[in-house]
Amino acid sequence: MAVGEAKTYKIPIGPVHVGLKEPITTWLEVDGERIVDIKVRPGAIHRGIEFMARERNPIQVIYLAERICGICSFAHIESFVRAVEDAASISVPKRAQYIRTIMLELERVHSHILWAGVACYTFGYDSAFNLGLLLREKVMDVLEAMSGNRVNYGVGTIGGVRRDITPEVAAALEDLIDYYRREFAAFYEVATEDPITKARMRHVGTLPPEDAVRYCAVGPTARASGLRVDLRWSSPYEAYADIEVTPIVPQDYMGEVYGDVFDRFLVRVLEVYQSLDIIEKALLGLPKGPLMAEPKLPKLLALLKAADGVGWSSIEAPRGDDAHVIKLTKGDENVTWWKVRAPTYANIVSWPIMFRGQEIADAPLIVNSIDPCISCMERALVVDKKSGSSEVLTKEELLKRSREKTRRLMGR
Amino acid sequence: MSRKAEYTDKAMAPEAVVSAIRERLGDAVEVVELKDRKAGSNDAVCFHDLWLRCPKDKFLELLDILFELDFPLFHVMSGNDEGEAVLLNYHFSLFQGSGRGSRLGVAVSVYLPKDDLAMPSIQDRIPGAEYSEREMREMLGINFMGMPDESLVFLPEDWDERVKPWRRDEAGPKPEQIRELS
Repeated sequence: MAVGEAKTYKIPIGPVHVGLKEPITTWLEVDGERIVDIKVRPGAIHRGIEFMARERNPIQVIYLAERICGICSFAHIESFVRAVEDAASISVPKRAQYIRTIMLELERVHSHILWAGVACYTFGYDSAFNLGLLLREKVMDVLEAMSGNRVNYGVGTIGGVRRDITPEVAAALEDLIDYYRREFAAFYEVATEDPITKARMRHVGTLPPEDAVRYCAVGPTARASGLRVDLRWSSPYEAYADIEVTPIVPQDYMGEVYGDVFDRFLVRVLEVYQSLDIIEKALLGLPKGPLMAEPKLPKLLALLKAADGVGWSSIEAPRGDDAHVIKLTKGDENVTWWKVRAPTYANIVSWPIMFRGQEIADAPLIVNSIDPCISCMERALVVDKKSGSSEVLTKEELLKRSREKTRRLMGR
Repeated sequence: MSRKAEYTDKAMAPEAVVSAIRERLGDAVEVVELKDRKAGSNDAVCFHDLWLRCPKDKFLELLDILFELDFPLFHVMSGNDEGEAVLLNYHFSLFQGSGRGSRLGVAVSVYLPKDDLAMPSIQDRIPGAEYSEREMREMLGINFMGMPDESLVFLPEDWDERVKPWRRDEAGPKPEQIRELS
């Protein structure tokens, strides 16, 4: 800082920045290297999903919900269909409940491994990043074997699931459990023993427990601050009613809790092992029976058209509590209104607490430490046609230009 | 309201929560439904959702009662333009840190007449409600009295703030402002 009066400067990170996976703007107010305050401005990828749902029936909205996010697409489906099932009083067959649980845990394994890799990448530990991406392939392969897709699995539906766990898939799942128990240990060592990792993550981006409560932090972010909260535990749904899950908090493993980036790393790494245990138990206890409450779509749609009520569902997605609220009106085929609250929406409010007093160099790490999913958080709205004509290219124009370029390259 | 910011480990039965509210607010707060949420192979009751309807002037009092029981986790606000009024649902959780199966979801519905779209801000009690209040302000046009930051959160910088995207009346977007995706 220059001699004389204290002056702070504003530095923008984003909307597009190498330290960010998705577009969001954060204005850092800095005094030298120290961050004094931060202002977050989301909105860069708000797509109007809740608005679009008003003109679609619940079955169509499933596919909209799935596209809120790539990594936690099943979590959004799960929360959405649970809200619809709550509004229309549909009960889900046992086997479907177990398959949903297995899907949710596979997704958690996927999300946490990917995040752990990216966190290492953020502070320049590229070998751990590459290891993370290598490990992640296994779960994507199994998801593909089960659903046919590596992202957006299309497995969930209202009143059940659309894909079964066949003996082949069950064998692949058992193989996956063995593989991760064997191979994931390297990551566990990174989390607990590597001195550089510890130096970069300890005492960085601290969120004290009382602030985590006041600012409504959820999921691994809240647990890393020492709060014993987990919706799979406090309000069991699906097969979690049979399989007990206890919240993973750092103090149970390290003896103390700091609520910093390191603790968030630790909680996620430990949760991977927890998820493997849950998948194993769910596979063992997988009940026999139908997959859907009502397999005939027209009949299901008629049932949903006759339903009247509000449904609310909060589930433990990989990043925390994912809440969906939906209203169905009798005689109306479409969803009357729908509200999505992705976990990032809750966790991002505590960013200012985590940032204050930190160094600029730690900013991307803190941003990533809550595992932000910006496209999850931003859903809703309308596109202004006025700007569309002059600045934003429509799909048709893009397609036209793309074809023109191909022709150019072909020399025609 | 000064409650220590921590989650209680002593859960209460949902019926006890209902009677605690009844005792203080009488019939002013309507208990719409107490839902049993079931799951698992025995179809056991795993947790409960409580749906309340509250007049605007009793809302803070109701929130204070919730604060006496536990620090309420604020999930989100949902809302809709219902014609004469705008419906606002506050979604809270109680006892989410008090043990397995102890969580009680509390949804509070408040109807706001179109000529007085104002609610007291709850950010002084629960700072985590910031984004939801800002979102409901820009999407449905509700004024939260006493909110510290009234800037847009999700809408673009150059948005015409007179247009409230989730409204279904003249304040909502015009058909020509909506681009249909092919």
